Amino acid sequence: MIAFGCAITRPEVYARCAEPGIRRAAEPGSAVLARRSQGTLFENYNALLDEAAALPGLEALVLVHQDTEIVDEDFCDRVRAALADDTVGVVGSVGAVGVRSIAWWEGSVSLASFVHRFDEHGGGDLPSFSWTWDEAPPYARVGEVDTLDGFLLVLPPWTIERIRFDESLGTLHGYDLDFCLQVREAGRKAVTADLKAIHHHSLELVSAPEEWVQAHIRIAEKWDGRMPGIGTAAGDWEERARRAEAERDASGLEARARVLQMEARARELERAIAEARTSISWRVTAPLRRAARLREQSGRRGG
Amino acid sequence: MIAFGTFVAEEEAWRRYTEPGIGRAAEPDSAILAYASVTSLPRSLNIILDAAARHDDLEALVLMHPHTELTDPGLCARVRETLADPDVAVAGAAGARGGKGIAWWEGEVSAAPGTLHYEGYGGGGEFPGFGWAGPSAPLGEVDVVDGSLMVLSPWAVRTVRFDEALRVGYGFDTDFCRQVRAAGRKVVTADLRAIFHHSLELVEDLDLWIEGHQQVGRKWEDAALDEDGWRVRARRAEAEREAARAVAHGRRLAADARIDALERRLRETTATTSWRITEPLRRANAVRRRRNGS
Repeated sequence: MIAFGCAITRPEVYARCAEPGIRRAAEPGSAVLARRSQGTLFENYNALLDEAAALPGLEALVLVHQDTEIVDEDFCDRVRAALADDTVGVVGSVGAVGVRSIAWWEGSVSLASFVHRFDEHGGGDLPSFSWTWDEAPPYARVGEVDTLDGFLLVLPPWTIERIRFDESLGTLHGYDLDFCLQVREAGRKAVTADLKAIHHHSLELVSAPEEWVQAHIRIAEKWDGRMPGIGTAAGDWEERARRAEAERDASGLEARARVLQMEARARELERAIAEARTSISWRVTAPLRRAARLREQSGRRGG
Repeated sequence: MIAFGTFVAEEEAWRRYTEPGIGRAAEPDSAILAYASVTSLPRSLNIILDAAARHDDLEALVLMHPHTELTDPGLCARVRETLADPDVAVAGAAGARGGKGIAWWEGEVSAAPGTLHYEGYGGGGEFPGFGWAGPSAPLGEVDVVDGSLMVLSPWAVRTVRFDEALRVGYGFDTDFCRQVRAAGRKVVTADLRAIFHHSLELVEDLDLWIEGHQQVGRKWEDAALDEDGWRVRARRAEAEREAARAVAHGRRLAADARIDALERRLRETTATTSWRITEPLRRANAVRRRRNGS
């Protein structure tokens, strides 16, 4: 039996995103562990693991964020295929190699089978590079990775029995990297599989930078020397500090420049729209457009 | 006598920006110190300082980037007012307290009213001069001022030099201000108005800027950190760098989404049948406007 677990802080988000995805993916006997969140994400996920461990006949636990919507109707078959290899300890739909920190996206991302759906500016979808295999770049592949994005994780019973999220690390960030590192340290693999999902998420990627920074530091300190690559960089500590400070400030400067460029482009477009909509030709043809709208509306009513 | 100094890297910028600005702000006896730029920016600026220092009657040197256009005919009065405090050695149009390294805009920013003029984007446009830096503090004493417009007192002109060891050019202003403050003088922002003509990239070469950041950091850091101290600092900086990149990426996505929405709206407007059938009318109007020279 494949179970589904979710820690819920906003029931309306769960009802809109995760719940329909779980309904789409679940099989008749699937358990759904929808847990009203209390405490940190680490604590909630551990509670879900404890609950799942007690379920008879468990084949896997699928952990989804409340804003993750599974898309595949044959999701459970895909999960079973990914877990057919018993050296696999955790599966996800987005993963990377060459990862050195909780900013796993600074590594080489090898699979990203999701759509980022946002509400800002009228809403839109940002499909990731392996959403459609026909258009995927040559580096897109399923298989072993250093870490997975935690918005969708699949855990086999072996992992549920032995590994827990490290509650000493913080409240939210970095739990996925740390979990994958624990799985790998225990001798099992973290792998990607083509499990498609929609991540309903704001375009703001780091909402609480200081918390994120603290988690980054704690995880680097925990794993440096224990797992190759994690927490490492070229140069001695002084060189690393100076380079990172400069690159941090350069990034801030780039972001400021980007805002200016966006404002300039937005002004240009707004000017063009205003010019079009105040032109004589636009005004004299207003009755035509009104008539077209009416036709469209009556067509919709009739159809 | 208030002198005006700039280095000339391209004559067009001189003709379009610097010369008309100086014409607006200078007094009849002002010395105009315009020199061809040389291999490094600090060296170019020091040539101007050396020339200014030879004027016995110097009251101040107004030092400008070639793309800075002065706009205020009352600038000289403002310069005298600012330098009336004998402790003030450097004034600028924008600056900050508590910035990080050469990224002064990460501190508490104060700035005079001014204009950033850019080209491209459908005919160019204007933004508030240092709006991108988020000024929020009143004009006054700061740690560092931006180098695109600086006013130096005679003491500063005769005593301090731009550090020619900082060869990449970025951070020359931060370094100069630190020298001035280390000598016990003040750096302030003042109501020095100008149009700053530059691209919206803000910095031309980010890799060089990063190098400049590290050079100035190494020069001025007196923190005697042991290995553990540097380790803590490196960990934090690496985390902050990656957070900054993620934040910047999110902003890029948001900006792209806003632009996409506007482009959609424009397409919807110009894809209507009514817009298409009136195309000949607009073409005829455009021809008529061109003929009329409007």
